[in-house]
Amino acid sequence: RGFASGTDGESRLARLLREKFPQASAIKVVDISGGCGDMYEIHVESEEFREKRPVQQHRMVTQALSEEIKHMHGLRIFTSAPK
Amino acid sequence: GGGGGGSGSREAVERLVREHPVVVFMKGSPAQPLCGFSNAVVQILRLHGVEDYRAHDVLQDPDLRQGIKNYSNWPTIPQVYLNGEFVGGCDILLQMHQNGDLVEELKKLGIRSALLDAEKDQEKK
Repeated sequence: RGFASGTDGESRLARLLREKFPQASAIKVVDISGGCGDMYEIHVESEEFREKRPVQQHRMVTQALSEEIKHMHGLRIFTSAPK
Repeated sequence: GGGGGGSGSREAVERLVREHPVVVFMKGSPAQPLCGFSNAVVQILRLHGVEDYRAHDVLQDPDLRQGIKNYSNWPTIPQVYLNGEFVGGCDILLQMHQNGDLVEELKKLGIRSALLDAEKDQEKK
């Protein structure tokens, strides 16, 4: 394992999220696996989440990253609409 | 497989999520969680005084582990079901705990959160 270092993984996921959430006002991806690239914290703030239940918001993220998630041990998701 | 016999089939999972108002699919058991996220779910439920619930250890059953993900269309464990409905994983449960939604959802199930009694004790002071 390890062709994707922590920072590479973070950049790749952030880029993917920007494509999938074009209206996002903020995206942050943090490798929380100690650099192993298999556990991430995902933060997305987007108008697309407004009025949606948290589980629906999180599901939009898991579906956007469905391929990547298959290779992760875990992830944390934080979503919100802009204030 | 899909045939209705396996422990990961839609029918089998449906039976499990409906067998109790609070059902959790996790890694390990409430007495001994084997993952930080699963432990978080157990601890949050404990804070609310919810100790009587159904917990299924997906590490004991690979068919169930995949079946529950197919059923909810959700890729990770733990998964929390209230009244047979998928509510979310540990991030969602934590959010619900922090914003008061969990107390409300438990009330709908006829479960009085222990935190309400804790608040009452506070008010007495």
